[in-house]
Amino acid sequence: MFRLQGSKTLAVDLTGDAVKAKNGSMVAYDGRMTFKKMTGGGEGLRGMVSRRLTGEQMTVMEVSGQGTCYFADRASEINLVALHGEKLYVEASNLLATDAGLRTGTTFTGLRGGASGNGLFTTTVEGTGQAAIMSEGKAVLLRVSPQYPLMVDPGAYIAHQGNLRQQLQSGVNFRTLMGEGSGEAFQMRFEGDGLVYVQPSERNTVGGDV
Amino acid sequence: MPFREINSKMVEATVAPGQTLFSQRGAMLAYRGEVSFTPNIQGGQGGFVSMIGRRVAGEATPLMTVEGSGTVMFGHGGHHIQVINLSGDTLYVEADRLLAFDGSLQQGTMFMGSQGGVMGMVRGQVTGQGLFTTTLKGHGAVAVMAHGGVIELPITPGRDIHVDPQAYVAHHGEVRNKLSTAVGWRDMVGRGSGEAFQLELSGSGAVYVQASEEKL
Repeated sequence: MFRLQGSKTLAVDLTGDAVKAKNGSMVAYDGRMTFKKMTGGGEGLRGMVSRRLTGEQMTVMEVSGQGTCYFADRASEINLVALHGEKLYVEASNLLATDAGLRTGTTFTGLRGGASGNGLFTTTVEGTGQAAIMSEGKAVLLRVSPQYPLMVDPGAYIAHQGNLRQQLQSGVNFRTLMGEGSGEAFQMRFEGDGLVYVQPSERNTVGGDV
Repeated sequence: MPFREINSKMVEATVAPGQTLFSQRGAMLAYRGEVSFTPNIQGGQGGFVSMIGRRVAGEATPLMTVEGSGTVMFGHGGHHIQVINLSGDTLYVEADRLLAFDGSLQQGTMFMGSQGGVMGMVRGQVTGQGLFTTTLKGHGAVAVMAHGGVIELPITPGRDIHVDPQAYVAHHGEVRNKLSTAVGWRDMVGRGSGEAFQLELSGSGAVYVQASEEKL
């Protein structure tokens, strides 16, 4: 029921069911819709508390009704992700909408959060259904397999899914300290089996200046 | 005269002798042939009265007249451009979104507050858009700017469309608009979903919606 209208607008057909979306991202709808802000992302008190602590406070609304609802956010490109029971890790600021049946939570990402300019925590989406994630420019989907680890600029990373281990690696060496930095001081290293979404644009990162 | 879309952010228009084109001042990117650009102090056609109307309405986007023979490329601020072809109906659009349009189209301003009563009056204040909107009527093409891509949603009797006022770009046809509220008691105390106001469009025509809630 998720479909793209152009590359920057998400159309969701609802027949009495519901969808969770970033607060305020509705641009138009036909039919009858109700919009309800969800308390703490809709996972009860614990979810709310963890959200407060982690700073991954995406404000979510639940849209239910009959008809078609259109979502968009700051002209970002939208990518559809189908989940079949696995977990999707995504920065909260890049998550536009999910099927109401998908569970959302937060996980600790370690040091890389600080370097990527995002928080130390990231949002997880789990279950079976569809999610829509946003990128600045059209995102590419890169496969990681055991033989082929992948290094990603933290500022270009958007999301990943599958069985992946991630760690932050630094390319800082003597030269960098002497002021001859390559501008690529930190990378995220992914190992295992899965998919990584990368956008053709870089957020401001701590590592960018090194 | 039609506009040719070069890409999503640039259009090309062909000008021929005897034909006039209006464009937002400074929106010309390149041209071929013998083309002249003259600032249009009167703010389009319609003479003195129209000018005053424009001043009062705050719909006074500086325009220029494009005449001659050749082709002209238009674009502005990296915004997306949507070409809308009118066949006798009326287009409603905020003046600052107009990139270029056929000189044969009839220009006017319309007081949006007259539709929808008090809520119509409120609409301008809430949406940050003016209470007045420019109208273009007749047969011809209009190039309209938007932040992000644009989708066109048809409005048919019995199928109303609700639009986020900030994402609204333009509409055409026989359409009534009113500001509807989805505000309940909860929204008033700060637990809003962020979708408190919607522009409700009914009748028959089409509305253009941008993939962003930012103004130009």
